[in-house]
Amino acid sequence: MNVIIVGAGNLGSSLAQAISDLGHKVTIIEKNFEAASSLPRGLVNSGVLKVILSDGSTASAMIEAGITNTEVFIAATGKDSLNGLTAQKAKIIFGVEQVMTIVKDPDAKKLYDSLGITTINKAALASNQLAEFLTQES
Amino acid sequence: MGEPLASSLINTGHEVFILDHNQQTVTTLQRELGMVASVGEATSVRDLNDAGASRAEVIIATTGSDEDNLAACQLARNHFDIPRTIAVVHSPENAELFERAGVDMVISVTSLVLANLATAIPSHPLIRLMPVADHSQELVAIKLPAGGLLIGRKLSEITLPFGTNIILIMTSEGRSKKPNPDVRIEAEDEVIALSPTNSTAELWTLLTELR
Repeated sequence: MNVIIVGAGNLGSSLAQAISDLGHKVTIIEKNFEAASSLPRGLVNSGVLKVILSDGSTASAMIEAGITNTEVFIAATGKDSLNGLTAQKAKIIFGVEQVMTIVKDPDAKKLYDSLGITTINKAALASNQLAEFLTQES
Repeated sequence: MGEPLASSLINTGHEVFILDHNQQTVTTLQRELGMVASVGEATSVRDLNDAGASRAEVIIATTGSDEDNLAACQLARNHFDIPRTIAVVHSPENAELFERAGVDMVISVTSLVLANLATAIPSHPLIRLMPVADHSQELVAIKLPAGGLLIGRKLSEITLPFGTNIILIMTSEGRSKKPNPDVRIEAEDEVIALSPTNSTAELWTLLTELR
């Protein structure tokens, strides 16, 4: 399965690692050079993890990451509202089937749930819920 | 953007409350407009609630951040059932997303600026044909934009600047119309006028103003 992750912060990079480990092809979009550079070298060098240095909330970065051929899109920046906009763009404009977003604020969770966007948080990630979910999907 | 908008809405009799994350901005607003502002985040449901979102009829999101404007409108609708949502968008590509994501009215800053520039610069120029009477007057040609305020009006309904006379009107097909009072202005008409030199700018603004 092709997976795009926006944001290579703590959560984004752990997600990238976990999803790669499950055997999926991951493209991560990160605009900050330092954050992009600190992604696991081995995965990047072996081509399992593709990195795009760009603003992942823009259509051009999404297209460069191959969004038209992507089954799962995850917005994982540190800002709820930016994740919300990015996730909705992937879903509404590009029609990605499975869109997920990280949210910290429980009020925002309620909103994105109502929009058909799967909300995930640190706890879900720790409990390996995401890995199970992706395994079921594939 | 929020401050002049708020004072204009207050002046037209609306009840307005402003939420801003900057303490200094809020202090200034309170000094100028009264207790109509408080410090808070546009994307915080608690702050929206404290600002009276549950009884608001309209939310207008005008922060400098597209994602916060979208989230504010959606949270307001989702949590408070605010019937009408309006958002400013800075990146033009986000305008379509906002509309499809259910924002009722999307104001694209970039598109507005571009539209204004387009009228000011290339397509509807002021052409100075000839100076007259020792440069105190000039013969000018001004093309009227399709979305102009005056399109469809009779000449007799238009108040020209003092001393200005329309000499001739050329249609976009190159037909000439005599400037009789009953003649109607059509889109892309070119107005040839004799204008006092210091009134020409005023004449241009009048003729090219958009609806």
